[in-house]
Amino acid sequence: MIIELREFARVEGNGKAEIVIEDGDVKDVRLKIVEGPRFFELLTLGRHYYDVPDLEARICAICYLAHSVASVMGIERAFGVEVPEEIQLLRELGLIGEFLESHALHLYLLVAPDVFGYPDAIRMATKHGELVKEGLALKAFGNRLRELIGGREIHGINVKPGGFGRYPTQEGLEEVERQSEALLRLAKRAVRLFAQLDPYGERVKHFVVTDGYLWGKRLIAEDKEPFHYTERIEERSLVYSFAKQSRYNGEDFFVGALSRLLLKNEMLTPEAKRLFEEHRERLETGYVSYNNLAQAIELVYSLERAGEIAKTLLDRGINGENVPVEPREGEGIGYVEAPRGVLIHHYRTDSEGRITYSNIITPTALNHAMIEASLLREAKALYGEADEGDMIQRLEETVRAFDPCISCSVHLVKL
Amino acid sequence: MMGKLKLGVFELTDCGGCALNMLFLYERLFDLLEFYEIGEFHMASSLKTENHYDVAVVTGTVSSHRDLELLKHARNHSNYLIALGTCATHGDVQASVELPIREKLKAVYGDEGNPMKALDSKPVVEYVAVDLAIPGCPYDKNELYQALMDIAKGIDPVRPDYPVCVECKLNEYECVLVKKDLPCLGPITLGGCNAVCIKSGLGCIGCRGPLPGEVNPASEYEILKGKGYDDDYIVRKFKTFARWEP
Ligand code: SF4
Ligand code: SF4
Repeated sequence: MIIELREFARVEGNGKAEIVIEDGDVKDVRLKIVEGPRFFELLTLGRHYYDVPDLEARICAICYLAHSVASVMGIERAFGVEVPEEIQLLRELGLIGEFLESHALHLYLLVAPDVFGYPDAIRMATKHGELVKEGLALKAFGNRLRELIGGREIHGINVKPGGFGRYPTQEGLEEVERQSEALLRLAKRAVRLFAQLDPYGERVKHFVVTDGYLWGKRLIAEDKEPFHYTERIEERSLVYSFAKQSRYNGEDFFVGALSRLLLKNEMLTPEAKRLFEEHRERLETGYVSYNNLAQAIELVYSLERAGEIAKTLLDRGINGENVPVEPREGEGIGYVEAPRGVLIHHYRTDSEGRITYSNIITPTALNHAMIEASLLREAKALYGEADEGDMIQRLEETVRAFDPCISCSVHLVKL
Repeated sequence: MMGKLKLGVFELTDCGGCALNMLFLYERLFDLLEFYEIGEFHMASSLKTENHYDVAVVTGTVSSHRDLELLKHARNHSNYLIALGTCATHGDVQASVELPIREKLKAVYGDEGNPMKALDSKPVVEYVAVDLAIPGCPYDKNELYQALMDIAKGIDPVRPDYPVCVECKLNEYECVLVKKDLPCLGPITLGGCNAVCIKSGLGCIGCRGPLPGEVNPASEYEILKGKGYDDDYIVRKFKTFARWEP
C-alpha cells in the first residue's frame, strides 16, 4: 500500500511524498520532486561569463543573491581575481539581507501557522496580526538590503565579477545601521517563540557547512578538515524525482542554519552567541526540527552583523572601485551559505571567458536524502499510532523544518 | 459591498519569484484582500478549495505533464486568467535551452529515460488563451497590484506599450549603451520596470521580453555588432528571456 501526501503547501516549489506500507509497517518513504527541470547548467554552457550570474540568479527567487554571489565567486576563482574587503563586506551585507528575507518568510509565514493552528499567515493575522506584521517588517528590511546590494528585491543584476554596478550611498548605510538596531527586539522575540517547539524528525549525524560564516574557500564537516565537495560528496539520479540525491561519505547529512550554528558558533555576534549558548543543549541533540530555532537565532546574528558591517563601512568610507577582470582559462568553485545551507557553483572557463563546464548543487538537493530519512522516522513513529490526517500534518511539518526550496533543487548536473 | 472575488494562484515550473513577489506587496496585499479571497495559493496557504476562481494567476512555464494538467485546471475553472511573469508569457531562461528534451534529460540525469514526463519548457500562452499577460522576471509589483484592483472594479487593466529607454529618460539615467558600450536591450524591451537595471549602471538584459509592435531588433543587432559583440553573443542575448529572432 502507498499513502500519498499531496503536494506540499507552504514550501517553495512543487514536491510531494509517498509512504510505502508493507505488511502493516512503514517500509520506505520517497520524496518526489515534481517541479519540472530547468537545465540551468546547460543554459550557462558556452555563455560569456559576464552574463552568467544574472541568469543563475533565476534559479531561485528566495535566494537569488546567494546564487549571484556563488556564481561570481566561482568565476573570479577561475580567473584568479581577488576582491578587496570592501567588496566582500558589501556582498556579505547582501547575503545577510537574504537570510533575513528568507528566514522571516519561512518562520513567520510558513511555520508559524502550524504553531498556532492556521492554514496560512493571512488567516493567522486575524488573531496574531502583530506577529505577522513583525515578520513582514523583518522580511521587508531583508529585501531592502537585497535591493541596496543586489539592485532590486528579486533578480537584481548589480552583483558582478570584480564588484558592483552601483555602490550603496552613505544614507543607505546609515539606514541599515539604524534599522538593524531597531529590529533586533523582534528577532529576539522570534527566538523565544520557536524555542518552544517540540523536537521531531530525524537526528542529524553529519553536518556540512562552508568554512566562513557566509561563504568559504572550502567546506567543513564535524572534523573541521577543509575539503572540496568533489572529495566527499556524491550525487546520484533517482527515477522518481527531478532532484538528485547527495551523500556525504555515503551517508545522509544536513546543511542549513542548524549546521552553521553547531559548527561555527564561535563566529557568531555577541547576542546571537549568548542565545546559542542558552539553547545549546537542545540544538546539539540534532533534531532537524530545531533548524527552525537555529534560523531564529540567525535572525539575531544577521541584524547584529548588518549593523557591524554598516558601521565599519561608514567609518572608513566607501571607495566604490571595481577590480579589473581578465578572462582566462581556468576552474573555480564558489561556496556560499544560502539561507537553506551550502550552495555550490562550479565552473570551467575558456580563454575568452566562456563557460565550458558548470555544476550547481543547491542546499535542498544536498538535504534530499536527509529529508527522506526524517520522513521515514516520523512515519514509522506515527503509523498506526496517530490517525492518518494527523500523521500527514506532522510529515508536512517535518518537511517544512528543512525549509526546502524545491525549485532550486532540480537542476543539478554532472557533465 | 458584493462578495469577494475568488483568487487562485498556480505555480508551474519556475523560480518561485512571481508567486513570492505577491507576498512582497506587504500591506498592500491586505488591501487586495479587501476585494479578493484566496482560494488557492500553494506557496502561502494549506487551504485548497478547488472549485471556481474569478481570477486565476498562473506563473511559470509548462515543463512537465503535471504543469500542463494544472494549467488546464486553472483555465477551465476560472473566468479571468493572468499569465504572470516572463516564464508564463515568453518562456524565460529555461525555454532558451535548445536541445530536444531527451538529450537534455540525458545530459543532466543520465540514462533514466523520462519517467517523470518532462516536456520542453513553453510559456503558458502557447497552451491556453489568457486574458492578461504581465511579463517581467519578475514583473513589477505595482503593475500586478493595479491590474488586480482594476479587474475587481471592472476596469480593463492598462498595458504598457513603450520601451525601457523611455523610463531611463524619465529618470535621467545616463545611457549605458551609448556612454559605456554595455550590451543593453533597453531600446527593444517592453518598459514597466522603471529601468531598474540601468539605475545600477548596467545594461538591460531584456527580462520583460520584446516590445510588441514596431520594435526594430535588426537595428539593435547592428548597434551591438558595431560595438564589437559577436553574433553568438548577441543571438543568445536576444533569445534568453523570449525567443526573439533578430
Ligand atoms: S518570470 Fe522570472 S521571477 Fe517569475 S517565476 Fe519565472 S524566473 Fe522566476
Ligand atoms: S531594465 Fe531590462 S532587464 Fe532590467 S528589469 Fe527592466 S526589462 Fe528587466
